[in-house]
Amino acid sequence: MPVQAPAALDAASIEHISQGEPNWLGELRADWWRRVEADPWPTGAEEEWRRTSLDNLPRDGGLLLDAPLATYDLDPQLAARGVVFSDLGSAVREHGDLVKSHLARYDTLPAQMPFWGRSLAAWTGGIFLYVPKGVAIDGPLTARTVLPSGAYTYLPHTLIVLEEDASATLLEEVSSPDGHAIWFGGTADVQVGYGAKLRYANLQRLGDEAWRIGAQRVEVGQDADVTTLNAEIGSAISKVGMDVRMTGKGGTSRLLGLLAAGGAQSIDFNSCQDLIGSHTTSDLLYLSALYDASHASFYGVTRVRPEAKQTSSYQECRNLLLSPKAGAEPIPVLEIETNDILRCGHGATAGAIDPVQRFYAQSRGMSADAAERMIVRGFFERVVAQFDSEPIKARVLESLAARIGTTEEAAA
Amino acid sequence: MALPNPAVDKVPTGYKYGWNDPEMKPLHVMKKGLSRETVEEISRIKGEPQWMTDLRLKAYRHFEARPMPTWGGDMSQIDFQDIYYYVTATDKAVQSWDDVPDYIRRTYDRLGIPEAEKKYLAGVGGQYDSEVVYHNIRADLEKLGVIFLGTDEALIKYPEIFKEYFGTVIPANDNKLAALNTAVWSGGSFIYVPKGVHVELPLQAYFRINTENMGQFERTLIIADEGSSVHYVEGCTAPAYTTASLHSAVVEIIVKKGARVRYTTIQNWSHNVYNLVTKRAVAYEDAVMEWVDGNLGSHLTMKYPSIYLLGERAHGEVLSIAFAGSDQHQDAGGKVIHAAPNTTSLITSKSISQGTGRTSYRGLIKVYPGCHGSKSTVRCDALILSDEARSDTYPYMEIDEDDVTIGHEATVSKVGSEQLFYLMSRGMNEAEASAMIVNGFIEPIVKELPMEYAVEMNRLIQLQMEGAVG
Repeated sequence: MPVQAPAALDAASIEHISQGEPNWLGELRADWWRRVEADPWPTGAEEEWRRTSLDNLPRDGGLLLDAPLATYDLDPQLAARGVVFSDLGSAVREHGDLVKSHLARYDTLPAQMPFWGRSLAAWTGGIFLYVPKGVAIDGPLTARTVLPSGAYTYLPHTLIVLEEDASATLLEEVSSPDGHAIWFGGTADVQVGYGAKLRYANLQRLGDEAWRIGAQRVEVGQDADVTTLNAEIGSAISKVGMDVRMTGKGGTSRLLGLLAAGGAQSIDFNSCQDLIGSHTTSDLLYLSALYDASHASFYGVTRVRPEAKQTSSYQECRNLLLSPKAGAEPIPVLEIETNDILRCGHGATAGAIDPVQRFYAQSRGMSADAAERMIVRGFFERVVAQFDSEPIKARVLESLAARIGTTEEAAA
Repeated sequence: MALPNPAVDKVPTGYKYGWNDPEMKPLHVMKKGLSRETVEEISRIKGEPQWMTDLRLKAYRHFEARPMPTWGGDMSQIDFQDIYYYVTATDKAVQSWDDVPDYIRRTYDRLGIPEAEKKYLAGVGGQYDSEVVYHNIRADLEKLGVIFLGTDEALIKYPEIFKEYFGTVIPANDNKLAALNTAVWSGGSFIYVPKGVHVELPLQAYFRINTENMGQFERTLIIADEGSSVHYVEGCTAPAYTTASLHSAVVEIIVKKGARVRYTTIQNWSHNVYNLVTKRAVAYEDAVMEWVDGNLGSHLTMKYPSIYLLGERAHGEVLSIAFAGSDQHQDAGGKVIHAAPNTTSLITSKSISQGTGRTSYRGLIKVYPGCHGSKSTVRCDALILSDEARSDTYPYMEIDEDDVTIGHEATVSKVGSEQLFYLMSRGMNEAEASAMIVNGFIEPIVKELPMEYAVEMNRLIQLQMEGAVG
């Protein structure tokens, strides 16, 4: 069944965006646009698209052309050492060659290509972080985007590049007002070089009618160490594909997720932990707390290539079902093509709160609600504890409070 | 029968028996290929009632209309028009012992299987010296009211009970391969166990010697009436030789209130076979259904025994073991559908891949809304014995009820060098040590097998490992 690509996006609007930009960028956008026009829109038969239907994706809004207000905090001393941290448009103007040598160089998972390509063709916002060789940034960098009201399409692209032995911690946060059917198609391209270390948290607090169709590509270089955290709180429908490529020998990745959903929210992740280099380690831990009639799906693939010797990997997906109408579909897939592995496995669970835990908390004088809040926070603690930045942990917990409550309430 | 099959060319050492020999005398069989006429002809030869002919034709239309599955193993080499759909038992006996490949005969010798049984397994001998045993068992069963017949015979002798249940668990319009089976089925077992009857001895297709039980498109139907119990054993651990390149069976099981059925299969087809099987059971209130499923042979197996838990407190178990050597792909697993409250299930899978072999676990746990108190555990362990072997795990879970406990765990590992070193330091050679580790790995499933099967299974693993190491 042929599916029409959205009308609000077309070659003319891509050309319009390109005005005033360097020629190389206009050509790059046009190239990606030609590719996505030629490629099929997901039919729903693809394994990654079986659990999220795109039929009601709000495609009629126009492209949001003015990048919305975003805040960036960067110590001027770091800027002096060559660190670039700004919106992607400004970076093109001020550090054109640097952006050009890293932007839109790779494809991602086939399932996400239609959205990866659209974002690379039609981005009007997003973040650029560049950390030069050997530069270590201590505190967390934060970029907060507050989207306006209205019905529109916004496809920002975030590009993060850490050179050899660099290190950084970044929180990217997006929010939008409730009641607006926007299509938020943010993508991220993360390139972590030899021995570099990145902590990257993505906090999604979109409004209750927003659609988030995202794609993240993470390339982990030799001896690099990457932790990503996706904290999903808002939106009506959220579908994110994570493409984690363990290319460099000895690289490590920790992929963390916290999903707190209520109402009729649907959150659907697909991931591929592709172990290509030898002696690589990749561990994934996604936890969801599902209230009301919300639904979480997780389709994760761990692939160990024949040449990837002595690797270590694990996939864990646990779902706490907090209402009779909540549902979960965890599907952790393994494709192992070598026997020379140190460790490989997965675990997935779905179920209600253990009644024994609930009974214990209530026997100590807590109300049923307070007991539930405490248990959910305790459940999420396994992920929170692994993210190595106190300010970001605090921000994530604060954002989660609307859904899962706070410790103060729990203690009350 | 010259059937295109890449696996045939790669049969281990000394292959010189003319599967592809153009001089080989053609069998007396229906002509190759599938059409409406073939389906009608099969039904006519068997002298079936009109409703069965109609059902076959309906299934044939579904088979025609459906595309081939694109997931699982590589089925691109299957040419449905290059297959014989009906071969009578006497025609099958035309094969000579000399036509049985060397590697299968060698395995029989190493396993110490008696001469008559060897020929029987290879499809050469039509009779096997267990007739006395068989008759005694049959007399006992008849006293209890148990029906144990070939499926063709049951259709003629017990048309009412047959019509009531046939195709109710796996309908004619199920998946493409099940539709094919419904259109051209022949052979298989029919078992009816009356209310409250417990069949103490395992029933084995092995003993049912008067009908063809190694049919290409066999159809098995088991009905365990309320409060009864039965254990059915199909296949055997020793390799079974067949010239047919496609084996597509359908097994339907109905486990009524409080009844218990265990179905044990050990599949060890020769390496030229595509083994694409649909097995499904329904279990009502307080019933217990257990599939014990072993896959050792074939070129490609795709088989996922399923259990629909339809009554409260029903319990389902799938124990699956797969061994894939070079040029083999075992795509096996299990499915449990929780469609009633307080139902429980357990899936345990152990798979081993060796040489260039590939094992895949593929499974589904589904819990419908309202099925509170349901519990399910899925445990998959894979052992990869060689650098070129591959192992996959595809565990699907669809949970639409909160008051449940559902868990899945999987591990993939190789034989530990420390374990090997320890055993070798105690005087074993590498093959023996590896075989012992592998036998330990599959022990939780082997201990569920009837003893003679368990012994044979362990010996087979030993033989496989001797080929694998050094």
